[in-house]
Amino acid sequence: MPQLSVAQRSKIRRLSQPKELAPDEEGGELNIVPFLDIVMNILIFVLATVAVTFTSTIETVPPAAGGSGVRAKTEDDALNLTVFIVKDGFSLKAAAGNVAPGCSGIGAGVSIPLKGNRYDFPALTSCAARLKASNSAYADEETVAISANNGTEYQLIIQVIDALRKTPDGKGELFGKVNFSVPK
Amino acid sequence: MSSPKDASKASVVAYKAALRRATRRNAHEPEVNFLNITAMLDIMTIILVFLLKSLGESSASVPQSDDMQLPTSVLRTEPSQNGVIVTVSKTQILVGDSKVLDLPSRDSMAQTGVGAFNKRNGPNDTYIVPLGNVLQSARQTDKMIRAKRGLDPAGSEAVIIADKTTPFRLLIEVLFTLGQTEFTKYHLMVIQAKEGS
Repeated sequence: MPQLSVAQRSKIRRLSQPKELAPDEEGGELNIVPFLDIVMNILIFVLATVAVTFTSTIETVPPAAGGSGVRAKTEDDALNLTVFIVKDGFSLKAAAGNVAPGCSGIGAGVSIPLKGNRYDFPALTSCAARLKASNSAYADEETVAISANNGTEYQLIIQVIDALRKTPDGKGELFGKVNFSVPK
Repeated sequence: MSSPKDASKASVVAYKAALRRATRRNAHEPEVNFLNITAMLDIMTIILVFLLKSLGESSASVPQSDDMQLPTSVLRTEPSQNGVIVTVSKTQILVGDSKVLDLPSRDSMAQTGVGAFNKRNGPNDTYIVPLGNVLQSARQTDKMIRAKRGLDPAGSEAVIIADKTTPFRLLIEVLFTLGQTEFTKYHLMVIQAKEGS
């Protein structure tokens, strides 16, 4: 059998080499790497800059205007607690009258005075819990009215609502519903 | 008839067989020299679009700025997002995205709220006329929406987004005006914070 000639061997060598695809023939796809880079950067930027804050809402109803109209009849065995936020502390008023300083009995004065120039929220919680526990008829009462000086900041009002929501041990409910009353 | 030169060459059959053998010998599996990232790109784009859309549409996402800082609360309940959004910043009141009025200085607000010129009966009145006018319009729209949704159309709800330094006087005026325009339930928006913070 005749051997392959030099020309034939050369041709076989040339034709048997695997074909290298030109860059524009590689699958015919778009080069999306730059786009991917941009998307990645935007994604990381968005995730890094968005401050994750969780919000809640406190439910309430329209405020009762003081001094106008006929006052609604209140139940005899209701606590009807109202918290006044004043400059010197918290003044509490129940159906029986103003709560005396120190949250003991009925009397004039600021029920819970400032403690070192700061409002005493734990004392407010304790006082509200004590007033609610003073009569078994108050156990189901969950509405408290809040009033304040005109200049009182909204943040302080929210803190008062928080302080009146739970018992001092944080397990029981005190006053979950809040109404605002307009100062006279 | 073959020439003497052709006689020294292998036949075409032998040549083709040799070519096939050489082609098989030289053939190799295509090398993967790049990663196919199309699937990953799809995922990234979907995540990005989802994030941007959900952040933009959520009414719970309140932009915090010098003009608007929400108060903090220890409350852990889910925020209610039903209702007309009323925003009270340090400088203005908005209903939805529309500005209703500019606010005076804080000292002035602590005395007379939004000022006598925005009231019906002088500085001691608690009804804000420009806000009331806008809320009446919003109430009519909300009334129809509630009726279509099968909700009680007798009263609307409002989400109050107020700055933490808002004076009580201004807050009461806004709430009172809402009450006068048949908004019967309010959701005061706060930021959840740890107890004692």
